[in-house]
Amino acid sequence: MSEDHHDEEQFDSAESGAAATFPKQCSALRKNEHVMIRGRPCKIVEMSTSKTGKHGHAKVHMVAIDIFTTKKLEDICPSTHNMDVPVVKRREYILMSIEDGFCSLMDPESCELKDDLKMPEGDLGNTIREALEKDEGSVLVQVVAACGEEAILGYKISTKE
Amino acid sequence: MSTNEAAASQEDIALAQGAVLVKSCQVPDGSIPIRGFDFSTASGPDFSLSAILSSYMSTGFQATHLAQAIQQVNQMLSLRDTPLTCDDDEKLFPYPEGRQKRSCTIFLGYTSNLVTSGLREVLRYCVQRNLVDCIVTSAGGIEEDLIKCLKPSYLGTFTMDGAKLRSNGMNRAGNVLIPNDNYCAFEDWLMPILDECLVEQEEKHLNWTPSKLIQRLGERIGDESSILYWAAKHRIPVFCPALTDGSLGDMLYFHSVKSSPGLRVDIVEDVRHINTIAVKSFKTGSIILGGGVVKHHINNANLMRNGADHTVYINTGQEFDGSDSGAQPDEAVSWGKVKPSAGAVKVHAEATLVFPLLVAETFAKHEGHKD
Repeated sequence: MSEDHHDEEQFDSAESGAAATFPKQCSALRKNEHVMIRGRPCKIVEMSTSKTGKHGHAKVHMVAIDIFTTKKLEDICPSTHNMDVPVVKRREYILMSIEDGFCSLMDPESCELKDDLKMPEGDLGNTIREALEKDEGSVLVQVVAACGEEAILGYKISTKE
Repeated sequence: MSTNEAAASQEDIALAQGAVLVKSCQVPDGSIPIRGFDFSTASGPDFSLSAILSSYMSTGFQATHLAQAIQQVNQMLSLRDTPLTCDDDEKLFPYPEGRQKRSCTIFLGYTSNLVTSGLREVLRYCVQRNLVDCIVTSAGGIEEDLIKCLKPSYLGTFTMDGAKLRSNGMNRAGNVLIPNDNYCAFEDWLMPILDECLVEQEEKHLNWTPSKLIQRLGERIGDESSILYWAAKHRIPVFCPALTDGSLGDMLYFHSVKSSPGLRVDIVEDVRHINTIAVKSFKTGSIILGGGVVKHHINNANLMRNGADHTVYINTGQEFDGSDSGAQPDEAVSWGKVKPSAGAVKVHAEATLVFPLLVAETFAKHEGHKD
């Protein structure tokens, strides 16, 4: 179940009481999928499994990156246990302008406006600013939402009008 | 033969005799003539183990060493029974709280493999009867005792194929097989206890040490077949400075990843406790089965009191590599770990063969006389 399958889902559904996470057996998790580690939504970047042995039940060792903070987190879980998987939603918005560090966004389908997201700091923020200034096409930013948090995590230039 | 030749050959014989047959000195009084057990004089087929073992002193080689070890342990036990003459406030060890001192503190050390073997039951007997005062073992010596309360190990052979055993989920220790299932059961039993220990560390600021953790496990196992059950009951401290070197260490590792930074287990507090026990003892005796950490940890603690008063080693270690495991008692004398006056003895033997015999002639007899 990769994040791409969530494209169609609406943020509203998560905020209106739908579970922010769902359980999944540890052994069924795969690299590049999402998982909750220490209460944070993460993307798995490394996985290794040790078979049943002197150490007890078979264990899955995973290294994952917090999708919002990019902090590296590790966990070890018996492969038969369930782990929480965050419901991660991703949508694209057209970046209209940036004011006081906040982005003015427009939903390309509904044309609704959204202006509660900050422009990310660091390299991503800088390159998005540059792309907006160059004006080579509309700047589409990717907004990812999980566990009540929301942030711009990527962008692309669209020359289609 | 000419007379010259005859004289020459007489001379040769005298020379050879002088070289080969040196005249004996007077044999010292009390020397033991070598004489083994005579089955022809045994009273029928029901001769006793004790009768055979009583011939060991005069049998020579390691039979003699075993007989000397039996003597040493009996001396420890009778010294231990001597009433204390000190003030009341000196009658208790500072650790573990409430543990009574005896006139001779008996240190018992055994390696992990011996608890994997059936020696576990023999060791448990000594602990159950409260006949030892301080135990040192390695990680397997702790976990194998507990795991056996959950699921048994099985007899195999030394020649079973490793790859096949691996694919069948069986682990081999010599000719003993331990199924992976046993460790899964151990994990399920242990993890909630580690969770509790962590809560106590965080909320009550309890400073866990290997011996405190082992005491807790002994209290929780609730099984009279366990060494640790009885050790916890009698408050006999069980030290295990290498606690993390086994399945227990694997569990502590996983637990620490889950609950980072996790449980802290303080080996320094424990070394203070064992050294204090040695220092505050009136006399000490060491019974050490196997080598490694177990052997040295007891000897090192006894260094703090200028050496143990009685010492028995049973192991198969050789001394030529300079490792302490195979070192003779005399090497420990050089370090001050064994008193020069101690009748220290090493039995060069595999412990499963001889320790039950030693217990039969010492701890078990001691208890037999009491009943």
